Amino acid sequence: MRAGVEDVNALTIERLGYRYPDGTEALREVSLALEEGERVGVIGPNGAGKSTLLLHLNGLLPEHPPPSPSVRVFGTPVAEPHLKKIRARVGLLFQDPDDQLFCPTVFEDVAFGPQQWGIAGKELEARVARALEQVGLQGFEERLPHHLSRGEKRRVCLAGLLACDARLLALDEPTSDLDPRGRRELKELLRNLPIAQIIATHDLELVVEVCSRAVVLDQGAVVAAGPTVEILNNEALMLAHGLERPHVLRHLHPH
Amino acid sequence: MNQDLLIPYSHQSSPVHCAPPVLKLAGAVIFVFAVVLVPRTAWIAYAAAGASLAALAVLSRVPPLYLAKRLLMVEPFALGVALLALLQKNGVGIFAAMLAKSTLCISAMVLLTTTTRFSDLLRALWRARVPALLVTTLALMHRYLFLLFDEMGRMFRARKSRSFSGNRFSAWRSSATVLALLFVRSSERAERVYAAMCARGWKT
Repeated sequence: MRAGVEDVNALTIERLGYRYPDGTEALREVSLALEEGERVGVIGPNGAGKSTLLLHLNGLLPEHPPPSPSVRVFGTPVAEPHLKKIRARVGLLFQDPDDQLFCPTVFEDVAFGPQQWGIAGKELEARVARALEQVGLQGFEERLPHHLSRGEKRRVCLAGLLACDARLLALDEPTSDLDPRGRRELKELLRNLPIAQIIATHDLELVVEVCSRAVVLDQGAVVAAGPTVEILNNEALMLAHGLERPHVLRHLHPH
Repeated sequence: MNQDLLIPYSHQSSPVHCAPPVLKLAGAVIFVFAVVLVPRTAWIAYAAAGASLAALAVLSRVPPLYLAKRLLMVEPFALGVALLALLQKNGVGIFAAMLAKSTLCISAMVLLTTTTRFSDLLRALWRARVPALLVTTLALMHRYLFLLFDEMGRMFRARKSRSFSGNRFSAWRSSATVLALLFVRSSERAERVYAAMCARGWKT
Protein backbone atom coordinates (compact mmCIF):
# COMPACT_ATOMS: atom_id res chain seq x y z
CA MET A 1 0.00 0.00 0.00
CA ARG A 2 1.37 3.39 -0.96
CA ALA A 3 1.92 5.94 1.78
CA GLY A 4 -0.87 8.44 2.10
CA VAL A 5 -3.38 6.31 0.22
CA GLU A 6 -5.86 4.95 2.72
CA ASP A 7 -8.07 2.89 0.53
CA VAL A 8 -6.91 1.01 -2.55
CA ASN A 9 -9.51 -1.71 -2.23
CA ALA A 10 -11.47 -2.46 -5.38
CA LEU A 11 -14.60 -2.16 -3.29
CA THR A 12 -15.33 -0.99 0.23
CA ILE A 13 -18.84 -1.10 1.67
CA GLU A 14 -19.33 0.25 5.18
CA ARG A 15 -22.57 -0.31 7.05
CA LEU A 16 -24.76 0.07 4.00
CA GLY A 17 -28.48 0.19 4.68
CA TYR A 18 -31.35 0.53 2.24
CA ARG A 19 -35.14 0.68 2.40
CA TYR A 20 -37.31 0.39 -0.67
CA PRO A 21 -39.71 3.31 -1.17
CA ASP A 22 -42.54 1.12 0.18
CA GLY A 23 -40.66 0.81 3.49
CA THR A 24 -39.36 -2.76 3.09
CA GLU A 25 -35.92 -3.01 4.62
CA ALA A 26 -33.68 -4.59 1.97
CA LEU A 27 -30.16 -4.09 3.36
CA ARG A 28 -29.03 -3.76 6.97
CA GLU A 29 -25.55 -2.59 7.94
CA VAL A 30 -23.83 -4.52 5.18
CA SER A 31 -20.03 -4.22 5.28
CA LEU A 32 -17.77 -5.81 2.74
CA ALA A 33 -14.36 -5.25 1.15
CA LEU A 34 -12.80 -6.59 -2.02
CA GLU A 35 -9.14 -6.35 -2.94
CA GLU A 36 -8.03 -5.79 -6.47
CA GLY A 37 -8.28 -9.02 -8.49
CA GLU A 38 -10.21 -10.82 -5.74
CA ARG A 39 -13.36 -12.87 -6.41
CA VAL A 40 -16.05 -13.02 -3.75
CA GLY A 41 -19.33 -14.93 -3.84
CA VAL A 42 -22.42 -13.42 -2.22
CA ILE A 43 -24.84 -16.25 -1.44
CA GLY A 44 -28.18 -16.41 0.27
CA PRO A 45 -31.81 -17.38 -0.25
CA ASN A 46 -34.18 -15.65 -2.67
CA GLY A 47 -35.02 -12.15 -1.52
CA ALA A 48 -31.94 -11.88 0.70
CA GLY A 49 -30.97 -8.59 -0.92
CA LYS A 50 -28.21 -9.82 -3.23
CA SER A 51 -29.42 -8.01 -6.36
CA THR A 52 -30.25 -4.89 -4.36
CA LEU A 53 -26.69 -4.89 -3.03
CA LEU A 54 -25.21 -5.10 -6.53
CA LEU A 55 -27.35 -2.18 -7.75
CA HIS A 56 -25.65 -0.02 -5.10
CA LEU A 57 -22.20 -0.63 -6.53
CA ASN A 58 -22.60 1.80 -9.42
CA GLY A 59 -25.19 4.13 -7.97
CA LEU A 60 -28.35 2.76 -9.61
CA LEU A 61 -29.63 2.56 -6.04
CA PRO A 62 -30.44 4.44 -3.88
CA GLU A 63 -32.60 6.65 -6.08
CA HIS A 64 -30.87 9.76 -4.69
CA PRO A 65 -27.28 8.85 -3.74
CA PRO A 66 -26.25 10.72 -0.58
CA PRO A 67 -23.14 12.93 -0.82
CA SER A 68 -21.21 10.67 1.56
CA PRO A 69 -22.22 7.14 0.56
CA SER A 70 -21.33 3.86 2.24
CA VAL A 71 -19.88 2.43 -0.99
CA ARG A 72 -16.49 3.30 -2.43
CA VAL A 73 -14.95 1.85 -5.59
CA PHE A 74 -11.15 2.11 -5.83
CA GLY A 75 -11.40 4.78 -3.16
CA THR A 76 -13.94 6.89 -5.09
CA PRO A 77 -17.29 7.42 -3.35
CA VAL A 78 -20.27 6.20 -5.40
CA ALA A 79 -22.00 9.59 -5.66
CA GLU A 80 -22.22 12.61 -7.90
CA PRO A 81 -20.05 13.95 -9.49
CA HIS A 82 -18.18 10.65 -9.83
CA LEU A 83 -21.04 8.51 -11.19
CA LYS A 84 -19.89 8.61 -14.79
CA LYS A 85 -16.42 7.39 -13.86
CA ILE A 86 -17.85 4.81 -11.45
CA ARG A 87 -20.14 3.36 -14.11
CA ALA A 88 -17.18 2.79 -16.42
CA ARG A 89 -15.23 1.06 -13.66
CA VAL A 90 -18.01 -1.09 -12.29
CA GLY A 91 -19.40 -3.56 -14.81
CA LEU A 92 -22.85 -4.73 -13.75
CA LEU A 93 -24.04 -7.98 -15.32
CA PHE A 94 -27.82 -8.25 -15.09
CA GLN A 95 -29.65 -11.46 -14.38
CA ASP A 96 -31.54 -11.59 -17.69
CA PRO A 97 -29.15 -11.06 -20.62
CA ASP A 98 -32.08 -9.91 -22.75
CA ASP A 99 -32.44 -6.88 -20.48
CA GLN A 100 -28.83 -6.01 -21.08
CA LEU A 101 -28.55 -6.66 -24.83
CA PHE A 102 -30.73 -3.90 -26.14
CA CYS A 103 -28.96 -3.03 -29.41
CA PRO A 104 -29.71 -4.43 -32.89
CA THR A 105 -26.31 -6.11 -33.37
CA VAL A 106 -23.58 -7.52 -31.13
CA PHE A 107 -21.15 -4.84 -32.30
CA GLU A 108 -23.45 -1.98 -31.39
CA ASP A 109 -24.17 -3.54 -28.02
CA VAL A 110 -20.56 -4.02 -27.02
CA ALA A 111 -19.81 -0.53 -28.36
CA PHE A 112 -22.63 1.09 -26.35
CA GLY A 113 -20.61 1.66 -23.17
CA PRO A 114 -17.44 3.08 -24.76
CA GLN A 115 -19.59 5.33 -26.97
CA GLN A 116 -21.06 6.93 -23.85
CA TRP A 117 -17.55 8.10 -23.05
CA GLY A 118 -17.07 9.52 -26.53
CA ILE A 119 -14.95 6.74 -28.00
CA ALA A 120 -15.48 6.33 -31.75
CA GLY A 121 -13.99 5.19 -35.04
CA LYS A 122 -10.99 2.87 -35.17
CA GLU A 123 -10.42 2.90 -31.42
CA LEU A 124 -14.03 1.83 -30.83
CA GLU A 125 -13.71 -1.02 -33.32
CA ALA A 126 -10.47 -2.16 -31.72
CA ARG A 127 -12.02 -2.09 -28.25
CA VAL A 128 -15.04 -4.10 -29.35
CA ALA A 129 -12.85 -6.66 -31.11
CA ARG A 130 -10.62 -6.98 -28.05
CA ALA A 131 -13.55 -7.38 -25.66
CA LEU A 132 -15.16 -10.04 -27.87
CA GLU A 133 -11.86 -11.87 -28.05
CA GLN A 134 -11.56 -11.82 -24.25
CA VAL A 135 -14.86 -13.69 -23.97
CA GLY A 136 -14.03 -16.05 -26.84
CA LEU A 137 -16.47 -14.64 -29.39
CA GLN A 138 -14.14 -13.33 -32.10
CA GLY A 139 -15.98 -12.28 -35.25
CA PHE A 140 -19.44 -12.09 -33.64
CA GLU A 141 -19.76 -8.36 -34.42
CA GLU A 142 -22.54 -8.61 -37.01
CA ARG A 143 -24.58 -11.30 -35.22
CA LEU A 144 -28.04 -10.42 -33.95
CA PRO A 145 -28.75 -10.82 -30.22
CA HIS A 146 -31.89 -12.92 -30.71
CA HIS A 147 -29.91 -15.47 -32.73
CA LEU A 148 -27.46 -16.21 -29.91
CA SER A 149 -27.59 -19.02 -27.36
CA ARG A 150 -28.05 -18.17 -23.69
CA GLY A 151 -24.38 -18.72 -22.95
CA GLU A 152 -23.32 -16.56 -25.90
CA LYS A 153 -25.69 -13.80 -24.77
CA ARG A 154 -24.10 -13.84 -21.31
CA ARG A 155 -20.66 -13.59 -22.84
CA VAL A 156 -21.66 -10.71 -25.12
CA CYS A 157 -22.98 -8.92 -22.01
CA LEU A 158 -19.61 -9.49 -20.34
CA ALA A 159 -17.81 -8.18 -23.43
CA GLY A 160 -19.96 -5.04 -23.18
CA LEU A 161 -18.63 -4.51 -19.67
CA LEU A 162 -15.02 -5.30 -20.55
CA ALA A 163 -15.18 -2.82 -23.44
CA CYS A 164 -15.85 -0.10 -20.83
CA ASP A 165 -12.55 -1.07 -19.16
CA ALA A 166 -14.42 -2.25 -16.08
CA ARG A 167 -12.12 -2.99 -13.15
CA LEU A 168 -14.76 -4.44 -10.86
CA LEU A 169 -17.42 -6.84 -12.13
CA ALA A 170 -20.69 -7.23 -10.24
CA LEU A 171 -22.40 -10.34 -11.56
CA ASP A 172 -26.03 -11.18 -10.75
CA GLU A 173 -26.72 -14.93 -11.09
CA PRO A 174 -24.31 -15.30 -14.02
CA THR A 175 -24.93 -19.05 -14.43
CA SER A 176 -28.70 -19.15 -13.96
CA ASP A 177 -30.45 -20.98 -16.82
CA LEU A 178 -27.22 -21.94 -18.58
CA ASP A 179 -26.72 -25.54 -19.69
CA PRO A 180 -23.72 -27.43 -18.25
CA ARG A 181 -21.49 -26.47 -21.15
CA GLY A 182 -22.42 -22.79 -20.93
CA ARG A 183 -21.85 -22.97 -17.18
CA ARG A 184 -18.42 -24.57 -17.56
CA GLU A 185 -17.31 -22.07 -20.18
CA LEU A 186 -18.48 -19.12 -18.11
CA LYS A 187 -16.67 -20.38 -14.98
CA GLU A 188 -13.49 -20.83 -17.00
CA LEU A 189 -13.86 -17.30 -18.34
CA LEU A 190 -14.46 -15.72 -14.93
CA ARG A 191 -11.50 -17.57 -13.40
CA ASN A 192 -9.20 -16.20 -16.10
CA LEU A 193 -10.31 -12.56 -15.93
CA PRO A 194 -7.79 -10.63 -13.83
CA ILE A 195 -10.49 -8.29 -12.53
CA ALA A 196 -12.11 -8.08 -9.09
CA GLN A 197 -15.48 -9.82 -9.12
CA ILE A 198 -18.43 -9.89 -6.77
CA ILE A 199 -20.80 -12.68 -7.74
CA ALA A 200 -24.35 -12.95 -6.36
CA THR A 201 -25.64 -16.47 -6.90
CA HIS A 202 -27.32 -19.66 -5.69
CA ASP A 203 -24.89 -21.71 -7.77
CA LEU A 204 -22.71 -22.92 -4.91
CA GLU A 205 -20.44 -24.92 -7.18
CA LEU A 206 -19.68 -21.72 -9.03
CA VAL A 207 -18.65 -20.13 -5.73
CA VAL A 208 -16.48 -23.11 -4.79
CA GLU A 209 -14.74 -23.15 -8.15
CA VAL A 210 -14.37 -19.43 -8.80
CA CYS A 211 -14.42 -17.48 -5.52
CA SER A 212 -11.80 -17.44 -2.78
CA ARG A 213 -14.20 -15.92 -0.25
CA ALA A 214 -17.92 -16.26 0.39
CA VAL A 215 -20.38 -13.95 2.11
CA VAL A 216 -23.76 -15.22 3.31
CA LEU A 217 -26.53 -12.64 3.07
CA ASP A 218 -29.94 -13.24 4.62
CA GLN A 219 -32.79 -10.78 5.18
CA GLY A 220 -30.53 -7.95 4.10
CA ALA A 221 -27.73 -8.62 6.60
CA VAL A 222 -24.34 -10.32 6.39
CA VAL A 223 -24.63 -13.42 8.60
CA ALA A 224 -21.27 -15.02 7.80
CA ALA A 225 -18.14 -14.31 5.77
CA GLY A 226 -14.88 -16.14 5.25
CA PRO A 227 -12.90 -18.48 3.02
CA THR A 228 -15.23 -20.25 0.59
CA VAL A 229 -14.59 -23.82 1.68
CA GLU A 230 -14.91 -22.98 5.36
CA ILE A 231 -18.25 -21.22 4.91
CA LEU A 232 -19.80 -23.67 2.45
CA ASN A 233 -18.69 -26.69 4.49
CA ASN A 234 -20.64 -25.44 7.51
CA GLU A 235 -23.76 -27.53 7.01
CA ALA A 236 -25.72 -25.97 9.90
CA LEU A 237 -25.03 -22.46 8.60
CA MET A 238 -25.96 -23.40 5.04
CA LEU A 239 -29.27 -25.04 6.01
CA ALA A 240 -30.21 -22.18 8.35
CA HIS A 241 -30.09 -19.76 5.42
CA GLY A 242 -31.86 -21.70 2.71
CA LEU A 243 -28.65 -23.10 1.17
CA GLU A 244 -26.94 -26.46 1.27
CA ARG A 245 -23.48 -27.92 1.47
CA PRO A 246 -22.51 -28.37 -2.19
CA HIS A 247 -21.78 -31.86 -3.49
CA VAL A 248 -18.31 -30.98 -4.70
CA LEU A 249 -17.27 -30.29 -1.11
CA ARG A 250 -18.63 -33.59 0.20
CA HIS A 251 -15.93 -35.33 -1.79
CA LEU A 252 -13.12 -33.02 -0.76
CA HIS A 253 -11.03 -33.56 2.36
CA PRO A 254 -9.67 -30.23 3.51
CA HIS A 255 -7.10 -31.59 5.95
CA MET B 1 -40.51 -19.42 -32.57
CA ASN B 2 -39.27 -18.69 -36.06
CA GLN B 3 -36.88 -15.91 -35.21
CA ASP B 4 -36.83 -14.61 -38.73
CA LEU B 5 -40.60 -14.32 -38.82
CA LEU B 6 -40.43 -10.82 -40.21
CA ILE B 7 -37.34 -11.00 -42.39
CA PRO B 8 -36.56 -14.54 -43.53
CA TYR B 9 -35.05 -13.43 -46.83
CA SER B 10 -33.01 -10.46 -45.65
CA HIS B 11 -29.69 -12.33 -45.52
CA GLN B 12 -29.42 -13.45 -49.14
CA SER B 13 -26.84 -12.22 -51.59
CA SER B 14 -28.64 -11.04 -54.73
CA PRO B 15 -27.61 -7.71 -56.34
CA VAL B 16 -30.61 -6.08 -54.64
CA HIS B 17 -29.55 -7.41 -51.23
CA CYS B 18 -25.97 -6.27 -51.71
CA ALA B 19 -26.74 -2.70 -52.80
CA PRO B 20 -25.75 -0.12 -50.14
CA PRO B 21 -28.61 0.29 -47.63
CA VAL B 22 -28.47 4.09 -47.81
CA LEU B 23 -28.94 3.90 -51.58
CA LYS B 24 -31.90 1.55 -51.23
CA LEU B 25 -33.49 3.70 -48.55
CA ALA B 26 -33.07 6.85 -50.65
CA GLY B 27 -34.42 5.03 -53.70
CA ALA B 28 -37.48 3.82 -51.83
CA VAL B 29 -38.24 7.25 -50.39
CA ILE B 30 -37.84 8.95 -53.78
CA PHE B 31 -40.05 6.26 -55.34
CA VAL B 32 -42.79 6.88 -52.77
CA PHE B 33 -42.69 10.64 -53.29
CA ALA B 34 -42.72 10.25 -57.07
CA VAL B 35 -45.72 7.90 -56.96
CA VAL B 36 -47.61 10.25 -54.66
CA LEU B 37 -46.89 13.28 -56.88
CA VAL B 38 -47.77 11.64 -60.21
CA PRO B 39 -51.10 13.02 -61.63
CA ARG B 40 -54.09 10.94 -60.62
CA THR B 41 -54.91 9.67 -64.10
CA ALA B 42 -51.37 8.93 -65.32
CA TRP B 43 -51.98 5.22 -65.58
CA ILE B 44 -48.92 4.65 -67.73
CA ALA B 45 -46.71 6.05 -64.96
CA TYR B 46 -48.31 3.64 -62.50
CA ALA B 47 -47.63 0.75 -64.85
CA ALA B 48 -44.01 1.82 -65.32
CA ALA B 49 -43.47 2.12 -61.57
CA GLY B 50 -45.07 -1.28 -61.01
CA ALA B 51 -42.95 -2.85 -63.74
CA SER B 52 -39.71 -1.49 -62.30
CA LEU B 53 -40.63 -2.81 -58.85
CA ALA B 54 -41.45 -6.19 -60.37
CA ALA B 55 -38.08 -6.23 -62.13
CA LEU B 56 -36.29 -5.52 -58.85
CA ALA B 57 -38.32 -8.23 -57.14
CA VAL B 58 -37.27 -10.76 -59.77
CA LEU B 59 -33.66 -9.62 -59.45
CA SER B 60 -33.79 -10.09 -55.65
CA ARG B 61 -34.81 -13.75 -56.07
CA VAL B 62 -37.24 -13.50 -53.14
CA PRO B 63 -40.21 -15.86 -53.71
CA PRO B 64 -43.03 -13.72 -55.21
CA LEU B 65 -45.59 -15.49 -53.08
CA TYR B 66 -43.83 -14.31 -49.94
CA LEU B 67 -43.78 -10.70 -51.18
CA ALA B 68 -47.47 -10.97 -52.08
CA LYS B 69 -48.30 -12.28 -48.59
CA ARG B 70 -46.53 -9.39 -46.92
CA LEU B 71 -48.27 -6.95 -49.23
CA LEU B 72 -51.64 -8.47 -48.40
CA MET B 73 -50.96 -8.06 -44.68
CA VAL B 74 -50.81 -4.27 -45.05
CA GLU B 75 -53.26 -3.88 -47.93
CA PRO B 76 -56.48 -3.90 -45.83
CA PHE B 77 -55.45 -0.60 -44.22
CA ALA B 78 -54.88 1.05 -47.60
CA LEU B 79 -58.12 -0.44 -48.89
CA GLY B 80 -60.02 0.88 -45.88
CA VAL B 81 -58.90 4.44 -46.55
CA ALA B 82 -59.45 4.16 -50.30
CA LEU B 83 -63.01 2.87 -49.77
CA LEU B 84 -63.96 6.22 -48.22
CA ALA B 85 -63.29 7.82 -51.62
CA LEU B 86 -66.21 5.88 -53.09
CA LEU B 87 -68.58 8.06 -51.07
CA GLN B 88 -67.86 11.17 -53.15
CA LYS B 89 -68.75 12.16 -56.71
CA ASN B 90 -66.56 10.48 -59.38
CA GLY B 91 -65.42 8.28 -56.52
CA VAL B 92 -64.50 5.23 -58.58
CA GLY B 93 -61.59 6.94 -60.37
CA ILE B 94 -60.24 8.41 -57.13
CA PHE B 95 -60.66 5.04 -55.43
CA ALA B 96 -58.70 3.24 -58.15
CA ALA B 97 -55.91 5.84 -58.12
CA MET B 98 -55.61 5.78 -54.34
CA LEU B 99 -55.50 2.03 -54.31
CA ALA B 100 -52.87 1.91 -57.06
CA LYS B 101 -50.69 4.55 -55.41
CA SER B 102 -50.83 3.02 -51.95
CA THR B 103 -50.21 -0.49 -53.31
CA LEU B 104 -47.12 0.75 -55.16
CA CYS B 105 -45.77 2.55 -52.10
CA ILE B 106 -46.38 -0.44 -49.82
CA SER B 107 -44.76 -2.77 -52.35
CA ALA B 108 -41.66 -0.59 -52.46
CA MET B 109 -41.41 -0.71 -48.67
CA VAL B 110 -42.04 -4.46 -48.57
CA LEU B 111 -39.23 -4.96 -51.09
CA LEU B 112 -36.90 -2.65 -49.16
CA THR B 113 -37.47 -4.36 -45.80
CA THR B 114 -37.33 -7.83 -47.30
CA THR B 115 -33.97 -7.28 -48.95
CA THR B 116 -32.24 -5.26 -46.22
CA ARG B 117 -31.20 -6.39 -42.75
CA PHE B 118 -33.06 -4.35 -40.17
CA SER B 119 -29.84 -3.33 -38.43
CA ASP B 120 -28.47 -2.01 -41.75
CA LEU B 121 -31.70 -0.11 -42.32
CA LEU B 122 -31.38 1.49 -38.87
CA ARG B 123 -27.80 2.53 -39.64
CA ALA B 124 -28.99 4.02 -42.94
CA LEU B 125 -31.73 5.97 -41.12
CA TRP B 126 -29.14 7.16 -38.62
CA ARG B 127 -26.81 8.34 -41.38
CA ALA B 128 -29.72 10.04 -43.13
CA ARG B 129 -30.06 12.17 -39.96
CA VAL B 130 -33.46 10.81 -39.01
CA PRO B 131 -34.07 12.03 -35.41
CA ALA B 132 -32.16 9.83 -32.92
CA LEU B 133 -35.21 9.31 -30.73
CA LEU B 134 -37.11 7.74 -33.62
CA VAL B 135 -34.22 5.47 -34.67
CA THR B 136 -33.65 4.36 -31.06
CA THR B 137 -37.34 3.62 -30.62
CA LEU B 138 -37.38 1.55 -33.81
CA ALA B 139 -34.23 -0.30 -32.76
CA LEU B 140 -35.63 -1.18 -29.32
CA MET B 141 -38.96 -2.19 -30.83
CA HIS B 142 -37.28 -4.55 -33.26
CA ARG B 143 -35.00 -5.93 -30.54
CA TYR B 144 -37.82 -6.76 -28.13
CA LEU B 145 -40.57 -7.68 -30.58
CA PHE B 146 -39.38 -11.30 -30.78
CA LEU B 147 -39.05 -11.61 -27.02
CA LEU B 148 -42.54 -10.21 -26.61
CA PHE B 149 -43.96 -12.69 -29.13
CA ASP B 150 -42.18 -15.55 -27.36
CA GLU B 151 -43.45 -14.42 -23.99
CA MET B 152 -46.99 -14.09 -25.30
CA GLY B 153 -46.78 -17.57 -26.84
CA ARG B 154 -45.64 -19.09 -23.57
CA MET B 155 -48.34 -17.34 -21.57
CA PHE B 156 -51.12 -18.39 -23.95
CA ARG B 157 -49.86 -21.96 -23.88
CA ALA B 158 -49.78 -21.98 -20.08
CA ARG B 159 -53.34 -20.62 -20.08
CA LYS B 160 -54.46 -23.24 -22.52
CA SER B 161 -53.01 -26.10 -20.49
CA ARG B 162 -55.17 -25.10 -17.55
CA SER B 163 -58.43 -24.09 -19.23
CA PHE B 164 -61.03 -26.76 -19.83
CA SER B 165 -64.25 -24.96 -20.62
CA GLY B 166 -64.97 -24.33 -24.26
CA ASN B 167 -66.92 -21.28 -23.25
CA ARG B 168 -66.09 -18.41 -25.58
CA PHE B 169 -66.74 -15.78 -22.94
CA SER B 170 -64.20 -17.28 -20.55
CA ALA B 171 -61.70 -17.63 -23.39
CA TRP B 172 -62.01 -13.91 -24.12
CA ARG B 173 -61.64 -13.13 -20.46
CA SER B 174 -58.50 -15.20 -20.11
CA SER B 175 -57.01 -13.62 -23.23
CA ALA B 176 -57.65 -10.21 -21.74
CA THR B 177 -55.84 -11.29 -18.57
CA VAL B 178 -52.86 -12.55 -20.54
CA LEU B 179 -52.64 -9.30 -22.49
CA ALA B 180 -52.86 -7.22 -19.30
CA LEU B 181 -50.13 -9.31 -17.70
CA LEU B 182 -48.01 -9.00 -20.82
CA PHE B 183 -48.33 -5.23 -20.57
CA VAL B 184 -47.23 -5.24 -16.93
CA ARG B 185 -44.29 -7.53 -17.66
CA SER B 186 -43.21 -5.42 -20.62
CA SER B 187 -43.20 -2.25 -18.58
CA GLU B 188 -41.16 -4.01 -15.89
CA ARG B 189 -38.72 -5.15 -18.55
CA ALA B 190 -38.52 -1.60 -19.87
CA GLU B 191 -37.43 -0.49 -16.41
CA ARG B 192 -34.72 -3.15 -16.25
CA VAL B 193 -33.49 -2.31 -19.74
CA TYR B 194 -33.28 1.35 -18.75
CA ALA B 195 -31.28 0.40 -15.64
CA ALA B 196 -28.93 -1.67 -17.80
CA MET B 197 -28.47 1.32 -20.13
CA CYS B 198 -27.68 3.61 -17.19
CA ALA B 199 -25.25 1.03 -15.81
CA ARG B 200 -23.18 1.47 -18.96
CA GLY B 201 -23.06 5.23 -18.77
CA TRP B 202 -26.30 6.30 -20.50
CA LYS B 203 -27.18 9.89 -19.47
CA THR B 204 -24.86 10.27 -16.51
